[in-house]
Amino acid sequence: MRTLRRAWRLRSARIALAVLALVALLAVAGGALAPHDPLAQHPADMLQGPSGRHPFGTDYLGRDVLSRLLAGTGLSVAGAIEAVGSAMLLGIVPGIASVWLGRTVEWTAQRAADTLMIMPFTVFAIAVVGALGNGMHQAMLALGVLFAPLYFRVTRAAALGLKQAQYVEAAELMGASRRWILRTHVWSKVLPTVAVTTAQAVGQALLVVASLTFLGLGVQPPAPTWGGMLASDLGYLAQQPWAPLIPGVAIMITVGALNILADAIRDSSGGQEQASPAEAPLPALSPPAAVGSALAPVVAPKEVEDRVTTG
Amino acid sequence: MTAPASTSVLPPPRKGAWLIPLARRLGAAPRPLGRVLTTTVTVFLLASLLTFALGALSEANPAAAVLGDLATPADIARMEAQFGLDRPLYAQYLSWLSHAIGGDLGVSWFTGVPVADSVAEALPVDLSIAGLALLLAVFIGGGAGIAAALNNGGRIDRTVTLICSVLATLPPFLIGIVLIVVFAVQLGALPTGGYIPIGENPGQWLRYAILPAFALSLDAAASLARQLRTSLVGALRENYVTGAQMRGFSARRVLFGHVLRNAAGPALSVLGMSVPLILGGAVVTEKIFNLPGIAQLSLQSAEQHDIPVIQGTLLVTICVVLVANIAVNAALAALNPAARRPAGTRTGAGDVTASSGEGGTR
Repeated sequence: MRTLRRAWRLRSARIALAVLALVALLAVAGGALAPHDPLAQHPADMLQGPSGRHPFGTDYLGRDVLSRLLAGTGLSVAGAIEAVGSAMLLGIVPGIASVWLGRTVEWTAQRAADTLMIMPFTVFAIAVVGALGNGMHQAMLALGVLFAPLYFRVTRAAALGLKQAQYVEAAELMGASRRWILRTHVWSKVLPTVAVTTAQAVGQALLVVASLTFLGLGVQPPAPTWGGMLASDLGYLAQQPWAPLIPGVAIMITVGALNILADAIRDSSGGQEQASPAEAPLPALSPPAAVGSALAPVVAPKEVEDRVTTG
Repeated sequence: MTAPASTSVLPPPRKGAWLIPLARRLGAAPRPLGRVLTTTVTVFLLASLLTFALGALSEANPAAAVLGDLATPADIARMEAQFGLDRPLYAQYLSWLSHAIGGDLGVSWFTGVPVADSVAEALPVDLSIAGLALLLAVFIGGGAGIAAALNNGGRIDRTVTLICSVLATLPPFLIGIVLIVVFAVQLGALPTGGYIPIGENPGQWLRYAILPAFALSLDAAASLARQLRTSLVGALRENYVTGAQMRGFSARRVLFGHVLRNAAGPALSVLGMSVPLILGGAVVTEKIFNLPGIAQLSLQSAEQHDIPVIQGTLLVTICVVLVANIAVNAALAALNPAARRPAGTRTGAGDVTASSGEGGTR
């Protein structure tokens, strides 16, 4: 909590949070704020440029782009949050369990994490949607499963370092229960790492959700999403070359704010900086880099984990 | 396509033969590489189990998929028997896996075309584009990373860091769209999409492949540049650099002969990790540039719930990633002598490092 409070004092963190609050507001109330019906087609005003009536112009069916952008916020953001939420659940619990519950659990969890880390997001999501049905929940569950190793690795790395900390050993020797140690010592130290990871993961998930909706996965066509808007703009680049920039900038601002927030939390976590392993070397990173290496356990992660324990 | 690749790499002895020039170096470190191979096999088995489970969990069955509402219970039973779906799941998995390792991925429920054939047709498109993207990423990212590290804190460094941060916030396919707008629609210099096999006409292939490959490479190039910059800045502060400079070695020799070699390890790992990203991104890029690759195949099969094709494409993609990982690990071991003696030296280094080393390697 102290870390989060310290992060709040940074101006960049406050700006990022303000942007995110705005996005959250649009996600909840975007449909109501939209000036036009996002699905209403007006064949007479197809592919119009920005005007007073349509600030961002209209698309190939004459639908108002601003309204679609506002109404699409909800689906895009909800998708990303659903994916990251399931990833947290699937990653944090095994991450802590793998440190305390013995070697079998540890080995199994690590191999499972290795396996999930080599799955390419889009290919796996297409397969899941193809096998289990084309719905937002199926697609987001697939993403959640693939994002889980991210949480697994950072929680595990943080917990691994703590397990050997002297005050944890002291607490163990004095007869503290495992649950008490986890709650009192471990959780508060893991929390900043989890916060950093979450900010990054939501940003990354937004990008993947945009890719998936761009491919037409997870949503049915008339429903507006940021990725879906990009897909429909693609056919009319000759007439409206600037059109993809509108949903593109929306994605960019949201993801950028999340990345800045992640950096701010990490910077203000001070001593904890080293405890979030591979994040230290990279200023702003995508999850694969944050995670240490998937199948390259020979060099990099070892160095990373060493740094964790000594730092 | 898949299976020969994976089987030929698995047995450790063949591995040594495969890398004859490096055999002596690698010989000093059989354990880490052996461990990588064990991990690879385990991961492959788990991934194949997951892939198979997707099909098993699916409610799709061939009769319903092909005949739709017209399917009668008799049709369903007949077609399930035809595709072997009436057997117990473990038997289905074992026969599917053993066939897959032998290169037979089954046949499509719809067309009856062997999945391996469709994949073999589509995969070269992705591999050639992804390979070109990886090459571009190494040059762009490597160059930017080195330039930024040498200019630590200066203008180039800040520019590179800024560009990398911006790239991290962009969906990769947006870059592809922008490239189409600029180079194809506005300038008319390159085609907006389409594909010509590299074997037919390499020049034309490059014309079609350069935009998608460039769009794909930027993300990987950005992570590579960031990682390389960080490790180079660290390595440049080491004593051996000062020592080499004092001995009068040229700056270039110190950089390429000493520093880069030590700093390239983490960057190489990052590059290995970007392989699944590039392959995943290739799917979207394919759609933008209208390439006849794996994405078209898997999207079409996902729409039709054509389970054998879905499973086949996923398994093949996984194999490509695994092979790339083995290559990265071999390169890491060959590049950095220190990487070859982790287990032995660290166990003696005291409780803390020993157990954390264990945690990292298993």
